[in-house]
Amino acid sequence: MMTRSLILEAAAAVCILAVILPQPAAAEVSDDEFKALKEAVQQLTQQQQELLKQHAEDQKQRAEDRQKIQKLEEQLSAASKAQPSGEAVTGEQFNSLKSAVDKLSQQVAAPPSGPFALQDFMIVGDAETQFAKVQGQHGGFALFDFAPIFLLRASDKVLFEAGFDINLVDNPQDNNTPGASTSLTLSFAQLDYLLNQYATLVSGYMLLPLGTYAERNAGWLNKFPDDPFVRDFILPGAGAGAQVRGAVPLDASGQTLAYAAYVVDGPSSSVSTGAPAGSLDLTGNVGITNNGKFANLHASPSAGGRVGWFLPWKGHDHYDLELGVSGQDGVWNNANNESWAAAVGDAALHLGPYFEAKGEYVNTWAETSDLGHIYPHGWWAQLGYKLAGLDLDLPLINDVELVSRYDEIRDGLGMRTERYSFGYVYYLTNTLHFIGDYEIINGNSQAVIPSANQLIFQLTYGF
Amino acid sequence: MSQFSSRWPFLQLGVGLAAALLATAMVSCATHAPSKPAAEQKLTGQDLYAINCGRCHPERYATERTAGQWKTIMLHMQVRANLPPDQAKAVLKYLQEDSGR
Repeated sequence: MMTRSLILEAAAAVCILAVILPQPAAAEVSDDEFKALKEAVQQLTQQQQELLKQHAEDQKQRAEDRQKIQKLEEQLSAASKAQPSGEAVTGEQFNSLKSAVDKLSQQVAAPPSGPFALQDFMIVGDAETQFAKVQGQHGGFALFDFAPIFLLRASDKVLFEAGFDINLVDNPQDNNTPGASTSLTLSFAQLDYLLNQYATLVSGYMLLPLGTYAERNAGWLNKFPDDPFVRDFILPGAGAGAQVRGAVPLDASGQTLAYAAYVVDGPSSSVSTGAPAGSLDLTGNVGITNNGKFANLHASPSAGGRVGWFLPWKGHDHYDLELGVSGQDGVWNNANNESWAAAVGDAALHLGPYFEAKGEYVNTWAETSDLGHIYPHGWWAQLGYKLAGLDLDLPLINDVELVSRYDEIRDGLGMRTERYSFGYVYYLTNTLHFIGDYEIINGNSQAVIPSANQLIFQLTYGF
Repeated sequence: MSQFSSRWPFLQLGVGLAAALLATAMVSCATHAPSKPAAEQKLTGQDLYAINCGRCHPERYATERTAGQWKTIMLHMQVRANLPPDQAKAVLKYLQEDSGR
């Protein structure tokens, strides 16, 4: 009886305690909270693994550095011993070895404080200032340009990049539009995602791989102060859409095969009354619709792509050849399904570090509502030779590159203009260039491209 | 079809050129018989830097950027200049070895 009473009392006490005491913490955790906690643990685990991996790499690097130091110290010791026997070590050799040892010692003493950050933001780009003297007009400072590129690396595989062009154009020579004008344009804004070894997905407002000029024409890269005519008049430089691109190494010599395939909104008409010749707007698929509103003019995207082959030879001695073909095709006006297409062939050749030749041929087709088919086309080719190749022991000469370019355009409506350009690039530093050229322009359309020779100087800085 | 026929010869030419490029690249790849063992011929990051970067711009010195900045720039250049990822990694390693702090 006594025992049963104790059991009953104990059971009652347990029941009371069960009611009074707080419930176990686990019972209060929801599924969402548990999942969040689990994901956090997984993330921490992953980060820990990455840190351990980085640490192992650092350790390995430091071990290699120590081995190098030991080897150099042995060499120093051997050199010191060799000196009395007649194999004299020069002061220069000794200093060189000592310098190498000191440098490696510093690296070991001050290793990186941790792994590289997953994210990084930086600004690169270029800036230019230009002086121009056009035939029959006053000379003056004509252009000031600032073209920053914002780079945001979100991870090892994701990059957002956007390029802007802010410029001021002064018109001291043009009586119709005196004064200066400023503009801010978006050159490109794209998201890059590395899918795998051979493919990168690009989306946004992209520079188009029609030829190579659009992607490689930053002010400090271009050896002339202006673009070839075909680039300014008959080809789009960028488009809104998506792209898959990549490169495949073909052998161990650096030979690669590059490709790009894309869809973009494509060109449109700049007027609301169909698609007459002269109204082709290459800048994008937005214009004035029949009801007078700004909107997308057609629903058919354009498609395009490029295949390029790069063949280097003689290792790193700058002997290489690059050939590419590219094109785009699509509709530029829905009303009558008028289409626009382009084909571009590009080539670049380097024969050593001093000689460069490159160019592009561009052919386009446009259906119009008034003139039927028109075929704007043109081409450009340029040569460059760095005088350092002459190996002359003269001041300044070794920093000069002589350049020349020929370009021609036919707009498909009877206009034909050609230009001969002769100039130089003076490399003040590797990123600060003073360039200049004299351009002889001949054509039959004064309204579009005046046949006025011009002298242009430009200071450009890449950062 | 009429709108297509006008540029058909050029499209044929373009496709033909693309095919010719591919074929030439393959033949070139096949006929480049290695005269040395592959291990000796492997290009270093410095070689690849000279081959790929020097095509378009003057040399940028490794000390101009930090190691992290080079990582961002090489991601940008890998896409812009169509560099195979392995080559881009080798160039990045070369630049980071002497990068600024």
